[in-house]
Amino acid sequence: MIKIEHLCKSFGDTAVLKDISIEYSPGKCNMVIGASGSGKTVLLKTLIGLYEPDSGSIWYGNEDLAAMNYDERKRLRQRIGMLFQASALFDFATVIENIMFPMDFCTGWTRAEKLDRARFCLDRVNVRDSDNKYPSELSGGMQKRVGIARAIALNPDYLFCDEPNSGLDPYTSSLIDDLISEITREYNMTTVINTHDMNSIRSIGDNIGFICDGRLLWQGDRHNIMETGCPELRKFLRI
Amino acid sequence: MIRDFIESVGKYCLFLKMVFRKPEKWSIFWRQFIGESEKLILSSVLLVCVISLFIGGVLVIQIASNIENPFIDRMNVGYMLREILILEFCSTIVALILAGKMGSNISSEIGSMRITDQIDAMDMMGVNSAGFLVLPKIVSATLLSPLLMLLSLAFGILGGWMVVSLTGIIGVPQYIEGIKYCYNGFYVFYSGFKMSLFCFLISSIASFRGYYATGGSLGVGSASTKAIVTISILILLFDLIVTQLMLY
Repeated sequence: MIKIEHLCKSFGDTAVLKDISIEYSPGKCNMVIGASGSGKTVLLKTLIGLYEPDSGSIWYGNEDLAAMNYDERKRLRQRIGMLFQASALFDFATVIENIMFPMDFCTGWTRAEKLDRARFCLDRVNVRDSDNKYPSELSGGMQKRVGIARAIALNPDYLFCDEPNSGLDPYTSSLIDDLISEITREYNMTTVINTHDMNSIRSIGDNIGFICDGRLLWQGDRHNIMETGCPELRKFLRI
Repeated sequence: MIRDFIESVGKYCLFLKMVFRKPEKWSIFWRQFIGESEKLILSSVLLVCVISLFIGGVLVIQIASNIENPFIDRMNVGYMLREILILEFCSTIVALILAGKMGSNISSEIGSMRITDQIDAMDMMGVNSAGFLVLPKIVSATLLSPLLMLLSLAFGILGGWMVVSLTGIIGVPQYIEGIKYCYNGFYVFYSGFKMSLFCFLISSIASFRGYYATGGSLGVGSASTKAIVTISILILLFDLIVTQLMLY
C-alpha cells in the first residue's frame, strides 16, 4: 500500500502539487488522471523519489520515503517497477539484455536463471522471437510490452506506469491496459497509472484520482466517474 | 554569472561524488570499462596517428626552413621536433582534438539517455546511473590516454623521419641524432600526466553536461557545445598550471 499525506512540490515560484493526500491499495489499478501540465508526472516522479517533495510524506507500507537513506531507497526501488511514457528501453542493449539489466544488479542469479526469468517475463507480455533485437527495431506497442516485461522482471510490489497508452493505436492501447490490469491482479501489485486516456479509465480504473492545477479534486472509480458532480472533472470528461 | 559558476562547480563536485561511489558489481564495471576503452581510446588511435604523422612532417619542414644560420647544427631539427612533440603537441594539442571527438561523443550519448528517461529508468531500478555510465568512461580515459600520447609521439617522429627521408631537407643520421639528443625521461612522464589529467577533464565534464541535459535534442546539442567549450578552456588553464608546477 502507498499512502500520500499533504504532499506539496514546487519548482521555483510555481507550485505544481498542492496538498495532495491519497491512498493506493494493492491488487488494484490506481489511476491519476488530469489534463496535460496538471502535475501527474511530477506526482509520479515524486512518489518514486526522483523529485524531493517540499512538504508532506509518502509511505510505502510502514516505511516513510523521506526518512530513508541512500541504501534504503535503493532497496525500495528494487521493489518498484516503472513503465515510462517513452518506454525508456536502453539503446545499448538488446531486448533480452534490457530485461536482464535489473537482475544483473539486484540479484545473484546465474546467467541461465536470469535468461529463464527474462524469457518468462517476455512470454508473459506476449513478446516472442525478439530477444536479440534492439529497441529501435521494435514498434511502439512492442516497446511498451518490453518495458512492462522489464518492470516486472524482479517481481515488484509496486508498479508505476506513466501514460502507458500514449502514441498507441486504440487496439494496442487496450491490449496494454489489459496486460497491466492482469499483471496487477496476478501479482497483487500496487499499481499507479498516469493517464488521460478515457478508454483506459473506463476499462481498468479501480481507483481514480483527478488532479487539476496541482490539486486532487475528485476520487472515485470507473463506475461513478461519469456521474461526478465536480465541474472541473465534467469539463475534462466533456460531459 | 559568478553565482552560476559557483553553482556549477558545486554541482560538478556532487556529481563526481556520485560517480566515485563503489560500483555495485565489479564484474559489470570491468565489462563496461573494456567497452568504454574500445569506444573512447581504441577508436581514437587512427585519428591520433594520422594527425601526429602529418604534424611531425610539417614541423620538420618548418623548423628546417627557419634555421638559416650555418653555425646551428642541423641535428637541432630532430631535437626541436621531439621537444615540441613531447612537451606540448602530444598532450595538449592532442587532448584538444580529443575534446571534440570524445567530449561530443560522451555528452551526446549521456544527454540523449537523459532526455529519453533511460537514466531515470536506471535510477528507478536502484542502480547508481552516474557510477554505471560515467565511472568506466573516466577510468578508461584517464588510465589509457597516456598510451595515446606515446603513440602520438611515435607517429610524430615517424612523420618527421618520412619527410626527412623523402625530401632530404636534412640528413637522416642528423635527424636521428637530434631525436636522441639530451633526452629527459621526466618530460615523457610530465606529458603523460598532463594527458591523463586532460582526459579526466574531458570525460568528467562531458559526462556532467550530458547527465544534466534538459530540453530535448536541442538541449543535448547545447550540452555538447557547452562541454567542449568548457573543456577546451580548462585544458589550456590546467596546461599552464601543471607546466608551472612541474617544470619551473
